[in-house]
Amino acid sequence: MDRECVSLLPRVCEVLAASGSSLPDDTSLEKLLDWFTGLTKAGTSLLESCPCLLEFISTVVHNTALDPSILSFTLRLTGFVAVTEVAFKVLQESSVLDLVFNLQHWQEAGLWEDPCIRIGWIQGLRTMMQHPKALSFFVQADFLQPLLQLQTDKSLFVASAANQMLAHVLLSCQSVSSVGSNDVDEEGEDVGRSGGSIADLEYSAVTVETNQDYAAVVTAISECLKKSLVPRENTQLHQSLQILKLLALLLAQTRPPLWEKLLQMVADSVDELLVAGYSQLILPLMDVILAAYSCDVNRRAPDQRVSRLLSFMLNIRKPADLIQAAAAFLRRGLHDLVHTAQSARVLLLPLDIITGLNLLTTTADEQRFLMMEQLKNKTSCISLICVCLTNTPQMTLMAADCLPCPPVLIVTAVLSLLKLCSGDSSSPSSSSSGCREVSRNVIGSSKVQKCALDALTALSGSPGVEVKLAEVFTLLVQCLDNPDSDPTVLQKSFQALVQWMSVCSDLSSITDQHRQDLLQVVRKRSCDIRWEVRDSTVEFLGRLAGVRVIQTTAEEASDASVAVLGGCCFTTPLLRAALQDTESYVRASAISALAQTLAASWQQGAALTQEQTEIVNQLLEVLSWDTEGFARRAVVRYFIAWLSSMSSHSCVQSPASSSLLMPSVRSVLSRGSADLDWEVKVHTLELAELLLDEAFSGQRGYTKGNPTQTHPYAVIPNTLHTRTHNEEDVVGVLNSLVQWGVVSALLSGLVDCDRPVALRACRLLITLREVVCPLSLGALDATAAMATVARVTCELPGCGWAREIRKMLVMKAKDANAEGGVSGGEVVNCDDCGEAGQEAASVGGQTPCVSVCEVLRSLDLDERLDVLTRSSDHVHNSPLSLLQDILTASSARSQPDTQQEVIADCY
Amino acid sequence: MKLYCLSGHPTLPCNVLKFKSTTIMLDCGLDTTSVLNFLPLPLVHSPRLSKLPGWISKDGTINLEKVLDARELLDLSTIDVILISNYHCMMALPYITEHTGFTGTVYATEPTLQIGRLLMEEVVNFMERVPKAQSATCWKNKEIQRMLPGPLKDAVDVWTWKRCYSMQEVNSALSKVQLVGYSQKVELFGAVQVSPLSSGYSLGSSNWIIQSHHEKVSYVSGSSLLTTHPQPMDQSSLKNSDVLILTGLTQMPTANPDGMLGEFCSNLAMTIRAGGNVLVPCYSSGVIYDLLECLYQFIESASLGTTPFYFISPVANSSLEFSQIFAEWLCHNKQTKVYLPEPPFPHAELIQTNKLKHYPSIHGDFSSEFRQPCVVFTGHPSLRFGDVVHFMELWGKSSLNTIIFTEPDFSYLDALAPYQPLAMKCVYCPIDTRLNFHQVSKLLKEVQPLHVVCPEQYTQPPLTQSHRSDLMLELQPPPMPYRRCSVLNLPFRRRYERVYILPELANSLVPSEIKPGVSVATVSAVVHSKDNKHTLQSVPKPPPVAPSKKRKRVMDEPPVVLAPKPLLSGAVPLEAFLATLQKHGITEVKVEETADGHILHLQAEDTLIQLEEDGTHIVCDNNEPLRTTLRDLVLRFLQKL
Repeated sequence: MDRECVSLLPRVCEVLAASGSSLPDDTSLEKLLDWFTGLTKAGTSLLESCPCLLEFISTVVHNTALDPSILSFTLRLTGFVAVTEVAFKVLQESSVLDLVFNLQHWQEAGLWEDPCIRIGWIQGLRTMMQHPKALSFFVQADFLQPLLQLQTDKSLFVASAANQMLAHVLLSCQSVSSVGSNDVDEEGEDVGRSGGSIADLEYSAVTVETNQDYAAVVTAISECLKKSLVPRENTQLHQSLQILKLLALLLAQTRPPLWEKLLQMVADSVDELLVAGYSQLILPLMDVILAAYSCDVNRRAPDQRVSRLLSFMLNIRKPADLIQAAAAFLRRGLHDLVHTAQSARVLLLPLDIITGLNLLTTTADEQRFLMMEQLKNKTSCISLICVCLTNTPQMTLMAADCLPCPPVLIVTAVLSLLKLCSGDSSSPSSSSSGCREVSRNVIGSSKVQKCALDALTALSGSPGVEVKLAEVFTLLVQCLDNPDSDPTVLQKSFQALVQWMSVCSDLSSITDQHRQDLLQVVRKRSCDIRWEVRDSTVEFLGRLAGVRVIQTTAEEASDASVAVLGGCCFTTPLLRAALQDTESYVRASAISALAQTLAASWQQGAALTQEQTEIVNQLLEVLSWDTEGFARRAVVRYFIAWLSSMSSHSCVQSPASSSLLMPSVRSVLSRGSADLDWEVKVHTLELAELLLDEAFSGQRGYTKGNPTQTHPYAVIPNTLHTRTHNEEDVVGVLNSLVQWGVVSALLSGLVDCDRPVALRACRLLITLREVVCPLSLGALDATAAMATVARVTCELPGCGWAREIRKMLVMKAKDANAEGGVSGGEVVNCDDCGEAGQEAASVGGQTPCVSVCEVLRSLDLDERLDVLTRSSDHVHNSPLSLLQDILTASSARSQPDTQQEVIADCY
Repeated sequence: MKLYCLSGHPTLPCNVLKFKSTTIMLDCGLDTTSVLNFLPLPLVHSPRLSKLPGWISKDGTINLEKVLDARELLDLSTIDVILISNYHCMMALPYITEHTGFTGTVYATEPTLQIGRLLMEEVVNFMERVPKAQSATCWKNKEIQRMLPGPLKDAVDVWTWKRCYSMQEVNSALSKVQLVGYSQKVELFGAVQVSPLSSGYSLGSSNWIIQSHHEKVSYVSGSSLLTTHPQPMDQSSLKNSDVLILTGLTQMPTANPDGMLGEFCSNLAMTIRAGGNVLVPCYSSGVIYDLLECLYQFIESASLGTTPFYFISPVANSSLEFSQIFAEWLCHNKQTKVYLPEPPFPHAELIQTNKLKHYPSIHGDFSSEFRQPCVVFTGHPSLRFGDVVHFMELWGKSSLNTIIFTEPDFSYLDALAPYQPLAMKCVYCPIDTRLNFHQVSKLLKEVQPLHVVCPEQYTQPPLTQSHRSDLMLELQPPPMPYRRCSVLNLPFRRRYERVYILPELANSLVPSEIKPGVSVATVSAVVHSKDNKHTLQSVPKPPPVAPSKKRKRVMDEPPVVLAPKPLLSGAVPLEAFLATLQKHGITEVKVEETADGHILHLQAEDTLIQLEEDGTHIVCDNNEPLRTTLRDLVLRFLQKL
């Protein structure tokens, strides 16, 4: 704990105890508590380090006239203080504890009505209850009844906290009594689940009497659960809901003796609740049953009662509840053959009915009839179908024996549903009038369409569905062509198409007609009136280029864009047209799609076409002139992609492409680092980093940007060995870096006012310094070693960032001169810096040259990095500043004159 | 009340309503689909078109089918008024007003009249400017028609096809139009009141309320709930109708106008980008305003800024300018622009910046300024006449060009038939903003008419999509369907007439309460009826004796006024009456029960008393004192007014 904070704390306590209303803002108390939480977690004993807290608590607790927020804070603070047994004892002995948690005390003061007092009381107790002493305090003070009452408090926060607290109490009692009764055989298994620190505490002090007390607590809680579980009237539904939540918490965490007991106590009530069939309680009830069930499954042979309850849930008569229950079961991901199969059947039933496909071989007629009736209502039809669709992908991943039909059939059903949505008549269900009444509910529903498309996308990975590719393709193209499809539907259709093509890499089933249709629709959508649609179309083109497919068995793999759309000759003109789009998102997407489309040709080292040259020129124009940041960022990313694909590829850079690439990169660096958008600048630095990597890979002392990325056993690239560590090489490389503008970009980034930019630039400069002229070398060594390297210079133009750099150099030089007499060892270095600085300063308006090495060594990069790493609000967020704020605010309050001035006339 | 249905076309309605002694024609749409049976009329002789295999040029002029062939159904000269709902539904007006003996008035809003005139003028212009080689009518004879080839042989009612009207007829017909404004109430002979309501479909389009004091009929024709350029639809005034006649729903229930508009724009952009031309055959008013507005926003983003847009029609200029001056008939947004002041439609700016140019025809200026690739809007959507014929011939051979159909009135495949084989791309984006079935069922739920009358097409799903049960009207009670030539008796609950009583007469009434809350008084008065208004006036006092015998006229003879006899009400209770009879010494009474009451046989007196619900008869021969006694006894039990 900070010494300064400790010294301030007593005065802060005084302020708080005197009057709570003079806080700087209403989050101060929460921030203080956060600080205490951190301290407690770090193992600091609050009472030892801040003895003033005890006095604070005892003062405040007597002064009920204080602001309730201060009182609530004190209650919670007491919990933190009493978290250790020693402190607890101290508090108890000074009889503070009894008063703080004395209900009567608060009720008599009329403060209990305030929810913040109630929640403070609960949370204080909850924090404190980490050791048996606290538990027995709880039991002896008989806090259980009030806590049970608070469970149905009108404030939701209080009620929820009370619920958590009850669970905590019960679990604590369980641990204590299990230790007491020497029933520790489960200990090993349950370490993971019992959670909290209770299990680790020692309970040697537990006596038989307290053990009985705990048993009484457990009985009282379970009695209450049993009693209030079933609502006597509708107004009690809220209470039942709370109890169910608590029960779910408990059944998931308790261990056998208690678990069995709880279950036994509530089983009848749960039965009763099930029969009563309250729709609002279905999901929480299912949570309870699943909590019990999953515990059960993980442990040993399933409990008959739980199994029976689960089967009951999966056979409820109300279709909406039934679907919810089945979906909840599947979401749990339990591996239970019978119930999983049952849930799958329930969830497939609406699809079966609406599409008329025989997904289920047998269903109870009554269930089918009820479901059909429910589906005739438009609203519930749409919501039921959507729930089913959301769960279908999960179903197809289940074991084959759980599924009532093969995944292919489910794909067929989803396709058929999509056809229904677009008003297509070819569904087999059109024969029966009931189904017609149902199917008309989904016509034109884009909600169902979206869910179905999501399902279709996810279904692409199911086993054996590849045979459906052609059908899926046709349908998706129809969706894309439909004038009434809304933008999200179109986007999802595009995504589904890419997904299916990437999963089913064999595209031999796609006919020329398919291709023609897709070409036509893509062309149309790229001219769509809605920019979202144009954007998704352009994105689609890019993503398609990244999908590897096998067109026919004879041909070798190519990308899907080539296989389906004919490759660049189709996509590139579309994308280039999209570069002119009025919407910046579309322009940005077009640029990244272009990068994805051209990636293949870059990697193959193909010669640049005239078109590519034009694209590069267009992109550089975008970088200079585009008014929106998105497009400019995309341009920089384009060059990053290009550069990295060239360098990552083992083949020698083709001279043709690099003749264009390197000059363009140079323009990108200079324009990008002068951009107004900080993200563009960060991307530009990434490009600079790539160049550094490229230049120095394998160089002694050079570590790639993020050293943790390289695995210790990773194969070290050959270049490491082939490169020589010749100083001449370093000079050459550094020279080219200066020529490309990397050094200027880094230096301008360093003085950037956006922290991420400066931080990144600083890190890169340090990396560069470590390779070129490491500080670790002694000054004399350095001079000798860097004799040639130091000759490499870069220009510092007379304006902007360069002026900042110059100023820094001059300052450094002055400092060095001042210290010169004292530390003679650094004379050489300082003189050089001084020269560089003076030279820079004297030339003024022109563009003088400075030695790169000297700049790197003189800029105090490490110190700068240190400053930059800290977040900009680190000062304001420190506990010290918090405490100071509180004190300042109170002093401002105590001097009303100044306060008056602060409250300016708002009018 | 009767409804005579003269048109079976749901969007080109023509119905006649006989209501309260008035005869009202609701719309007179002209179904011109029969022009598709004819060859296109090129401005200059086209050797290709005149030698089409399977097509024979017959008449040289286009005939238009007139909607009504219903003279047997109704004498059109008896029609009192014609109510027009929108300019598309008045194209048959000259046929009705000019040659049937019609003497009534036509009611329409100003934009309907003006734009209707433009559309008629355009058609007449298209027809008259083409030289006709010959004209023949004999083929309309059934015997000869049988021998004609192709679709003509099978065309029905060919003898009803008429020549297109002339400009003179148009002017004469339109001179009978009287202008009305929304919600203006027009009295028809005092019997009914008619009033137009905004229907939201086109400039000045209206639905009509036809109401008497106790009955209300709504006529909903061509309405739209979309926010396009016209004033929004007035729905609330349609409430509490006894009968709602519903016509003019969308012809394209499956084509959502928004989607179609998007389709239109993207196909247009696609063609222009590929270097092709776009041809849009359309009417010269209506959807074209929305198309231009949409394009105005779209051309920037699709980088079509330099592509010229041409609008070619004899009335192009008037149409574009009229649209800008009817501010009060526009939606709120556009109305507010006028106060800025700015032109309400953005096509003004397109014209100003030379992006949109309009020409009366392809001759003259257009031919010198024409630049490709371009977008051309021109009529007629049937592709049988107008400048569009020329562009079809010009551009049909290149697959770079596209024709985009936006009007839903004609089958685009039939329209294109004489131009086949066609290399040009065809896109069908019918934009019909009228109500769809979803909207109409919501509307009807809202306004809750007692009865709905609609064309029978609306009561079943479209033939081609029989599974789409969402594309029909499902109402409770089911709508009354009509078809061409049907006559419907419209059901009405109430049969009252409003009669006014003059104050002095009302003052003289002496009401007496016959049961709590209900008082009755007898009135003696003279009914004065004029313009279907009925007034009760006091009976005039006999005038003082004329001083001079010479001036006495027969008509002045005052009516003989007798004091009115009191009216009786109530029932004679049997038991009490028998007891009274007994008191008066009549003991031998045989009571016989009948269907309507009782017959009392006074055996000693040989007299019968029939007590029935609505009368009492005493049959008593030659015993006047007894009859009088009995009468008085009966009267004791009855109330007198």
